[in-house]
Amino acid sequence: MKLSFDTADEQFRTEIAGWLANNLSGEFETIRFRGGPGDEHMFGEERKRWEQQMAQGGWTCVGWPEEYGGRGLSIEQQVIFHEEYARAGGPGRVGHIGEGLAGPTIIEFGTAEQKQKYLPGIRNGTELWCQGYSEPSAGSDLANVKTKAEYDQGRQAWCISGQKVWTSLAHESDWCFVIARTDPQSQRHHGLGFFLVNMHQPGVEVRPITQLTGTSEFNEVFFDQALAEDILGEPGEGWKIGMALLGFERGVSTLGQQMAFQNELDEIIALARRNGAAQEPDIRQRISEAHIGLRLMRYNAMRMLSGPADGSLDSAALVYKLHWASWHRSLGKLAMDVLGSEGELLMEPPYELSRLQSLFLFTRSDTIYGGTNQVQRNIIAERGLGMPKEPRG
Amino acid sequence: MNFTFNEDQLMFRDSVRDFFSNEVTTESIRNRWDSDSGRDRALWTSMAELGLTGLLVPENCGGLGLGVVDFIMLAEECGRVALPEPLVDTVLLATPVLVAAGADAQLLQSIAAGETVCAVQSQADALVADADFADKLIVHKAGNLVLLDAESARFQRQDSVDPSRRLFSVEWADDEGQVLAEGDLSAELTASLYNLGALGTSAQLLGLAQRMLDLSVAYTSERQQFGKPIGSFQAVKHHLANVAIKTEFAKAPVYRAAYSVAEALSDVDLHVSQARLSAGEAAILAAKSGIQVHGAMGYTWEMDLHLFMKRAWALNNAWGTPGAHKARLADTILSADYTIGAGHTFASASDAA
Repeated sequence: MKLSFDTADEQFRTEIAGWLANNLSGEFETIRFRGGPGDEHMFGEERKRWEQQMAQGGWTCVGWPEEYGGRGLSIEQQVIFHEEYARAGGPGRVGHIGEGLAGPTIIEFGTAEQKQKYLPGIRNGTELWCQGYSEPSAGSDLANVKTKAEYDQGRQAWCISGQKVWTSLAHESDWCFVIARTDPQSQRHHGLGFFLVNMHQPGVEVRPITQLTGTSEFNEVFFDQALAEDILGEPGEGWKIGMALLGFERGVSTLGQQMAFQNELDEIIALARRNGAAQEPDIRQRISEAHIGLRLMRYNAMRMLSGPADGSLDSAALVYKLHWASWHRSLGKLAMDVLGSEGELLMEPPYELSRLQSLFLFTRSDTIYGGTNQVQRNIIAERGLGMPKEPRG
Repeated sequence: MNFTFNEDQLMFRDSVRDFFSNEVTTESIRNRWDSDSGRDRALWTSMAELGLTGLLVPENCGGLGLGVVDFIMLAEECGRVALPEPLVDTVLLATPVLVAAGADAQLLQSIAAGETVCAVQSQADALVADADFADKLIVHKAGNLVLLDAESARFQRQDSVDPSRRLFSVEWADDEGQVLAEGDLSAELTASLYNLGALGTSAQLLGLAQRMLDLSVAYTSERQQFGKPIGSFQAVKHHLANVAIKTEFAKAPVYRAAYSVAEALSDVDLHVSQARLSAGEAAILAAKSGIQVHGAMGYTWEMDLHLFMKRAWALNNAWGTPGAHKARLADTILSADYTIGAGHTFASASDAA
């Protein structure tokens, strides 16, 4: 066991920290610490340019194998990369769905041709992706998807029809990966396909959903005989591939998240010191608990990542989401309680929220998206502990 | 001993509940967000016609001459519909203080008639809710309690995360406004006002908790996943059961506090702070569990849940934050001259009758 980084890794840290110091400046100064979860509606154009700046420096897709344009970084180096990125206030990455989800899935399940077609756009920051999973009737029960995929002999392509929902940044995306039903007779997780769909076609319509923050990061996406550019794997493998992708979500990208959380906690502590809330016993206790929770999160993540590197859904990974989501939601509440009655006051009409107010409101959804706390606990109990499954209807 | 409400009180509560469910719809609330005043004067007139605005105004001034205990369930109903108009401020806060300060009969008549809306400044908060909708403001300056004509004051609007709330900083010249009370009387009425404000907030938080619970029960009974309503899952049930428990246990402290205020009991500070904490915790839990069981839909602007969550989050810090009320409780209980023990805690001399 070794909990510190060796000299070579520390040199790498210096390298990335230096690059960020030189590049996350000038025109990009305003987007430092911006554009992360809950703030994704901000600085879209600037962050797209930043993504390309990162690509030019060779800092996108660092965990990918070198043959696909990555750096093939070790786990330690990826940890260091994400830490330094967050420490420097690197903005939320517009390419994160491509880099973290679509890309690794295409690498795992795609043909050589598909890899050549899609990976460069992600790696170069020129093509952005969104996720077409949830539907109005398929939230926690994702297997209930109804979006259809029919093979059109005339056009020699699969056609997608249906509706996806909660699609982050669909309005900014070039591609969408879509789980759709290829076998009309099938039920639940059988008979599904994993499709890659171009967003820029007449059969695709994006409608924004307004959140309780007053902003729209999520969308409804309507597919009306939209052409799928590709299917990954075979018809019938959609569930397997779709679930494998979710396994990547619990991987290395979470490391930067903890650093970003540390930034948030630090901001709250600084505020508590300034406004005297840090003298209140209740607040002091909760700050201590937040600090402890964050350390636990980091150690668990490092333990998780030191294990075999794959996209499988093992219980350590499942516990992780439940923990960070609950922790982050508590952090949002702590921020508001530190602010006290000032916490309700808007910066500006019509509905401009401060960063801590956005944090509070956004974190109300942490325990819901990406698998609710209730579903997480069921999975932990059923798959992790082997307990009897909850009866379905 | 009788810890229940009488038939008249219950019937009045029921008729107010019906009235509010018809007149204060969530659609009407959303419409107010975009309007200039954000308030419905016609609704105020209707409330006056029902006897609501004058509930605590003495009968000889055209009111119903009722008391705090008669109003407390109605304040709860205001919370249940997240009423934007300052009915609680006018009835529960302003009226008793104006009566105690010996205010003009004409003013009280005007309140009962629905012609005078009141806004009240809490010393705990600099901003005054609904100052620009009000005709009269009760404010503080240099240790005095002052009655101000809204026309004489200047307002700076400050918006809230709750789009229904309108808060204002208030400025006025020294010669404007009438001193309601000074010195010892002012201190006494200010303390009384704090308790009335905290009590009114407690009752509204209780109503808000109940409303969010009702919305959550309804949603989870309808929404289907895995082939059945999500309310049939134990995890979901237990969340809402916990809210039900917390809400139920918040009722008694709130009603008890109303009684203490009405009877001017010596332990009133303790009871009011306890009510405030219980009701606040119930509302916060109802919001937290409510959004969780609503799933992603609960995070949208379109669903009504956030109207009530945001009001609860705002009111939970009004008229004293939870921290301030906990500190008041602690200070009282731990003070040298406070006696505890079964013989003291559960019976106070003023209760003995």
